[in-house]
This record gives sequence, C-alpha cells and structure tokens, in this order.
Amino acid sequence: MSTWSQLSFQDSASPLMEELIMFHDHAMLVLTLVTTLVGYIILTMFSNKFIDRFLLEGHLIEVIWTVIPAFLLIFIALPSLHLLYLLDEYDNPSLTIKSMGHQWYWSYEYSDFLDIEFDSYMIPSKDLEDNQFRLIEVDNRMIVPMNTYVRILVSSTDVIHSWTVPALSVKADAIPGRLNQLTFLVNRPGLFFGQCSEICGANHSFMPIVVESISMNSFLNWINNFE
Amino acid sequence: MIESWIAMATVTGTLLRRCSRLSAAAAPLSTSARALGGGGLPTVVERHGNRMVIGYGFNGEPNYIDRVDYPIPAVRFKEDNAQIKVLREKERGDWKKLTKEEVQELYRATFCRSFAEMQAPTGEWKLVLGGTMLACSIAVWIYLFMKVFVYEKLPDTITNPEKVEAQVQRMIDLRMNPVQGIASEWDYEKGQWKN
Repeated sequence: MSTWSQLSFQDSASPLMEELIMFHDHAMLVLTLVTTLVGYIILTMFSNKFIDRFLLEGHLIEVIWTVIPAFLLIFIALPSLHLLYLLDEYDNPSLTIKSMGHQWYWSYEYSDFLDIEFDSYMIPSKDLEDNQFRLIEVDNRMIVPMNTYVRILVSSTDVIHSWTVPALSVKADAIPGRLNQLTFLVNRPGLFFGQCSEICGANHSFMPIVVESISMNSFLNWINNFE
Repeated sequence: MIESWIAMATVTGTLLRRCSRLSAAAAPLSTSARALGGGGLPTVVERHGNRMVIGYGFNGEPNYIDRVDYPIPAVRFKEDNAQIKVLREKERGDWKKLTKEEVQELYRATFCRSFAEMQAPTGEWKLVLGGTMLACSIAVWIYLFMKVFVYEKLPDTITNPEKVEAQVQRMIDLRMNPVQGIASEWDYEKGQWKN
C-alpha cells in the first residue's frame, strides 16, 4: 500500500511491475535531461548579448535539433513497445479467479476445484482495529498462492467498476456483460491493496481490493478448509 | 525611497508627454493619394507632415518610434523649421565648431529620446512583483479560511499516535514496500530503525 505522503510507485510484487518501474525511471531520466537543457537555454537567453534580429536560416542547427529529439523519442519508444507487448503475454495460468463488481463490494469466485464464492466488503472506519488501515481493509481478502501464474476474470453485476492492484501492475474495468482478463504472478508474500477505479455511485471510494499472497501449501489448506 | 519613486515616475511622465505626438508641433495632415489607379480606391493619408523621411524605419511606414533595435527611425521627430535648417547647414561643416547646445538641438530635432533614456529602468518590476505577491497572499488567505471554517477534522487513524504506531508496526510486520519504502528502513535483525 502507499504510506503517508507517498507520491511514487509502491514497491513491486510482480516481475512486470518491476519492469514498469524501470521503464518509468528511464523515461524520467530523458525528461530530466530535456528539461535541464531547455531550462538552461531559457536562462542564458536572459543574459546573452546576441542582437542579430535578421537571422533567417541555419540548416545545420535545424538538422541537429530535429535529429536529436527524433533519436530521444526512439530511445523512449523501444522499451515502451517492448513492455507493451510483454504485458499482454499469456502463459497458461494455473489458477483462475472471477472477480465480480457490485455496488459497493467485490465478490470472488474460485470455481477451478470447488465452488468457492465470497463477498469482500470494506471494513467501516468505526469498526477498525487500532492497527488496521482506514478505507482499504476488507473483511474477506482474495487469497492467491505465491509464484503462481494467476488469471483474474473481471466483470460486474450492475454498473461499471474497475479492479486494480497497483503493486501488481494490473487494472481492468469490470463491465456488466463482459469478461476482462488479467494475468499476474505475485513473487512475494504479503497484502496488496487496491481501490475501485471507475466511478460507480455513492460508495465508489469505499469498495477496496485486498490480495493476500501466501505459500502454495497454505493456499491449499485454505481452499480445503473453506466453508 | 518614495521620493525616488515619485521622481522616476515624474521623469518618465515628462519624457512620455514630450514624445507623444500630441505635444509635437501640430503636424498638418498631408493628403497624398497613393491611389493605385482606377476609381474608388481608398486614399491613404500620410500623417508625417513636414517631417523628413530619413530611412526605412521598422516596418517601412513613415512613423516615428524609439526602438533600441531599430536605431534610425523612418522620419525625423520634429518638423523642419527655419532655425533647424540653419543648424543643418552648419552641421555639414566641421562638427567641432558646433556648440554643445547646438548638437543637442540637432539631436532632439531628429530623435525623441536618447539611448540612455530609452533604456532607463522604469521601476515597473515593483508593480508586477507587488501585484503578484498580493494575488499569492489572497490565495493564502483563502486557504486559511478553508482550513478554519470548511475542512472537517482529520480522522483519528492519523491523529491518534497510538493508532499510528500500531499501523506502522503492522506495516513492518507485513514487510510493506520492502525495497525502498517503509519496511526497507527497519533493521529486522536488530529490531530497530536503520541508521
């Protein structure tokens, strides 16, 4: 989850999120470079003594300041496109979970083995324990095994919602009558939080998502003991 | 401080009044028909009166303007009169024979302001800075008003230190953001914050 006053990404819990963070750092470096250069040029414009008002052309410099930005754009585009296609790769997930959006809660269905279904409501602020986090805790979390390729099919029973977990770099709209597929792999245990990301009514801000990642053995135990 | 500000404003005002076209010798309009043949085309009225055209100026029109980057105007500033014609004749000879007053009169006949006067500071920056700071202070007042009268209290999960401590402990226990975030600042072996 994000801690107080955090503006940056949450630390990744999946290899694709690591790649996205690295790409963001790369693009930010290019932006810093360009901004510094432009800022320097603006500052020197205030203090230089050049007075030739009738400059008409300078072919060499025009070629330079066209080629260099084109090169910078390619420098950004290549990893961007690489990542874009990487995010859509599909590798036969081991587990399929259905996540249905309702007004105003999520429900999860694990129908691969047994018919497991449960609702996931936000814990109201007045019912929180001292060490629980406000507005993002739920009563029943979505449990997934670690290091396992998981597929989530997202849909809705009423209006459009959106299911997302930023630490796993996944987001998909939950649209009634439609199935949207997300695949991810969680590479560390823990809790990963998200919030509904499509306006869906009065309690849109109060239907969070919590993914709990545990070892495969614990997951199997949980499945077998689910009631 | 205020006196110098008033003095600067007075000088600027004087210069501007002197150089405004209303105070120059009233220039009779000369109507020259720059018609382009044919009938019914508009006649252009040239307003530079008896002022000699001395160059292209900044756009080719016979208007006077003080500009540092176009030092020679299109027309002289003042109209010619008998007195200035005499000085112009004298100017054709040795300049060392001209007195200081004559040089200045010749200059002012052709130009309104000197370069030093054109480039003199106007003090406008004080007005701009003051206005900007005034606007910023209004924004600050609005923020303070909102803080006192509009916003609700912060929730106790933020204001209650016991709850905050419990939440932080839970974040550490859950290894939240262990790479660069909060759990990365906790030394798990020693059971204390790092550094």
